[in-house]
Amino acid sequence: MTTEIQTETTEIQTTRGKVYVIDRGRTTLRAGQGLLTGLEVVFRHFRDALTRKLERPSQQTGVFTVQYPEERLKLPEAFRNFPILLYDDETGQELCTSCFQCQRICPPQVIHMTQARDPATGKPVPAVAEFLIEYDACMSCGLCAEVCPFDAIKMDHEFEYSTDVHGGLTLNKEALNRPISYYEKIAPTFWAEVKDSAMKKLQGNMKRRPDLIGVAPQMIEKIKAKRAEAAAQAPAPAPAAPEAAPVDKAARLAAARARAAEKAAEAVPEPATDSAPTDKAARLAAIRAANAAKKAAAEGAALAADAAPPASGMPADKAARLAAIRAANAAKKAAAEGAAPAADAAPPVVESAAPAADAAPPASSMPADKAARLAAIRAANAAKKAAAQRDGSEE
Amino acid sequence: MTDILRSWIGGALPDWLIVLIAYLLVTLIVLFYAVGNFIMMVWAERRVIARMQDRLGPNRVGPAGLLQPIADAVKMFTKEDIVPRNADRWVHLLAPIVALAPVAMMLAVVPWGRGWEPIDLNVALLYIVAVSAVSGVGLMMAGWGSNNKFALLGAMRAVAQLVSYEIPAVTALLTVVVLAGGMSLLDLPYMQAGVPIMGATILCGDPAGCSPLLYSTVTSFPGSPNEPVQALDLGLGWWVFTPVGFLGFLVFFIAALAEGERTPFDIPEADSEIVAGYMTEYSGMKFATFYIAQYILNFALSALAATAFLGGWQGPGVAALANMGGPWVHVAAALSAFYLLAKIWILFFVMIWLRGAFPRLRVDQLMDFAWKLLLPLALVNIVSASLMVGLTQWTSAQWGGLVNLDGFAPWQRQLIAVLVTAIINIAAAYWILAINQRPREAEWDEEELVIAP
Repeated sequence: MTTEIQTETTEIQTTRGKVYVIDRGRTTLRAGQGLLTGLEVVFRHFRDALTRKLERPSQQTGVFTVQYPEERLKLPEAFRNFPILLYDDETGQELCTSCFQCQRICPPQVIHMTQARDPATGKPVPAVAEFLIEYDACMSCGLCAEVCPFDAIKMDHEFEYSTDVHGGLTLNKEALNRPISYYEKIAPTFWAEVKDSAMKKLQGNMKRRPDLIGVAPQMIEKIKAKRAEAAAQAPAPAPAAPEAAPVDKAARLAAARARAAEKAAEAVPEPATDSAPTDKAARLAAIRAANAAKKAAAEGAALAADAAPPASGMPADKAARLAAIRAANAAKKAAAEGAAPAADAAPPVVESAAPAADAAPPASSMPADKAARLAAIRAANAAKKAAAQRDGSEE
Repeated sequence: MTDILRSWIGGALPDWLIVLIAYLLVTLIVLFYAVGNFIMMVWAERRVIARMQDRLGPNRVGPAGLLQPIADAVKMFTKEDIVPRNADRWVHLLAPIVALAPVAMMLAVVPWGRGWEPIDLNVALLYIVAVSAVSGVGLMMAGWGSNNKFALLGAMRAVAQLVSYEIPAVTALLTVVVLAGGMSLLDLPYMQAGVPIMGATILCGDPAGCSPLLYSTVTSFPGSPNEPVQALDLGLGWWVFTPVGFLGFLVFFIAALAEGERTPFDIPEADSEIVAGYMTEYSGMKFATFYIAQYILNFALSALAATAFLGGWQGPGVAALANMGGPWVHVAAALSAFYLLAKIWILFFVMIWLRGAFPRLRVDQLMDFAWKLLLPLALVNIVSASLMVGLTQWTSAQWGGLVNLDGFAPWQRQLIAVLVTAIINIAAAYWILAINQRPREAEWDEEELVIAP
């Protein structure tokens, strides 16, 4: 329907907004004319309400009813109802670092959170393990979103939350999580203002999060599937290091080896039977470290080979940790120096990893298992970091 | 109806039973007609007032919200009937019945269509005026029986309003009685045949050459001793088109608004002042009964106003169809019933329109309006109506030689009467409005203002 501005109404644009000037007609009326004018106005409203909707204030007449469930007004960007948490669409990483700022500032104290801890070391990591908001007591002040230094908590536009479930308005992290793309859709300009700094901070925090900690719960399966897919497709782009590249293949190989070793251990009852589990764990850790190193090598860890061998003489856990650290250092260095000799370096790394694996069996000290696993994880992280840095330096 | 029943089952039942059944059937039909209209009016009022306020109104229950009154009725039926502990139980119970019954009785004498009149009462107007006054007793009973100060205040206001507005209403109806020369409602539509302003005074010059589609047989003017004549009849000779009828209609309609407690005269149930007036302590079906009584009263008063001033069932085509004879008479009856219904609904729309436009009057304004404006106008109008009848029908002998119009044709006499009454009515209206005008407020004289030291 076309909307014409009535002749008696003019819109004036001022610096402080729009002003509607309405000509109300004569101000002085003879006896009875006021009644007739009133009737005329009401009839005009009646007539126009039958034919059109009120689309702008200057029209004065027309139906202004919005038939709510079917029709909705567009909410302004700054509309705020309840807070939500954001996570990255791609990686599933949550922006929240569990800094507790929102929990502290919340006037009705309805925000509760638990910081995530590294399962290996027990140390806190910049990610949130569980996040609760009691929507039923939330007063929609938006202070949490104001105060969040990571732009992780934002005010949502959704307001249809009525429920008959007692406690149905206490939402956990999974229910609070929304992808960044959702927030970008409801508040494009607000997100554009903070996007760069938020993403930069997220990149920094992701480095300090072990594996899948800090990933939105609903995204974990997807991320895993994506990783597996990426791994399956990996061999094609790295023909120079065919034995190093397919991580899953290598892992399978390592598993086979471990199984073989286990069988051997069962078949030959050696005096060191009591140390068998440790043995196994250590070997596994070594294999993981090797895999990580391989990966790093494939991506440009040139000098890892030199660093690894000296570790062979030490107790397994220490050795493995050391190996991992050195591998990481090497990877860093390699990243710094450039990716040129990557292809040549790959085989030595494999060799270097092997001694580490060999070094494991003698280790009969108890915490080997845990430590080794940790070492492996660290090595993997280091490799990842190296890869990331290399990507950065290339850019 | 009695004749139809006699022809169907005349042999099987005694005659008195047939007459009884016939009357019961007619009563049933009229009541259903009124209640059906009540249901539609509730819906229409809510929808129309909503549009006037730029809203949509109820549109969820059924198509366009048409089933909303049914849903409301179901709600009303299932509501608890609460009687206040100190209320006078019997009076409280009887009040809605006493309010509704006279209103329903008013419907009996209205001619709903050409030949569709429940009963032919030769004092129908008197009957209507008398019966509608009874409902005031019901309102007073409700206010008194509820043992509630708001209810009593509302009832007092209602009775005061009914009593004062009955006088202009009855005086306005008196013009109709003067014009018609009788109190029967049945004759009124027949007398309003013809063309606007001129009525049925344009006669057929050559009786053989006049088409029965345009001309019909009328007794030239009410109370006329003349022989029936052939006059041009478009079914539009409504009295509202003459000065007398117009003023009478205005006064009667305004008084009817007050009697029906419609805005701007809804003082008895002013919800912002006295909760709901005499209905405060009513719930469930008792409340619904008051509600029905109010709407049917509005319906009946609209029907009365339409019949008395707007030609009743008269309309273009009714006379022509009736003149064709045979089965067409029934078509004419149906068409005439439709015309009356349309007029009632237009009047009802105007009531809603006024409700959408005007705020409520104060009690003193209400009384001023009735006694200082409406009553003088209605009294002047009676003089005009008498002059109208005299100028159009009286012979020179009846005038006693004062006025001699014997030589003029009917249409000339009608024209003279219209002009004379128009001058009288307009002059009277201006004069009465002028003397009612509030004196202009004195302007501030700034120099005389004394500033406190």
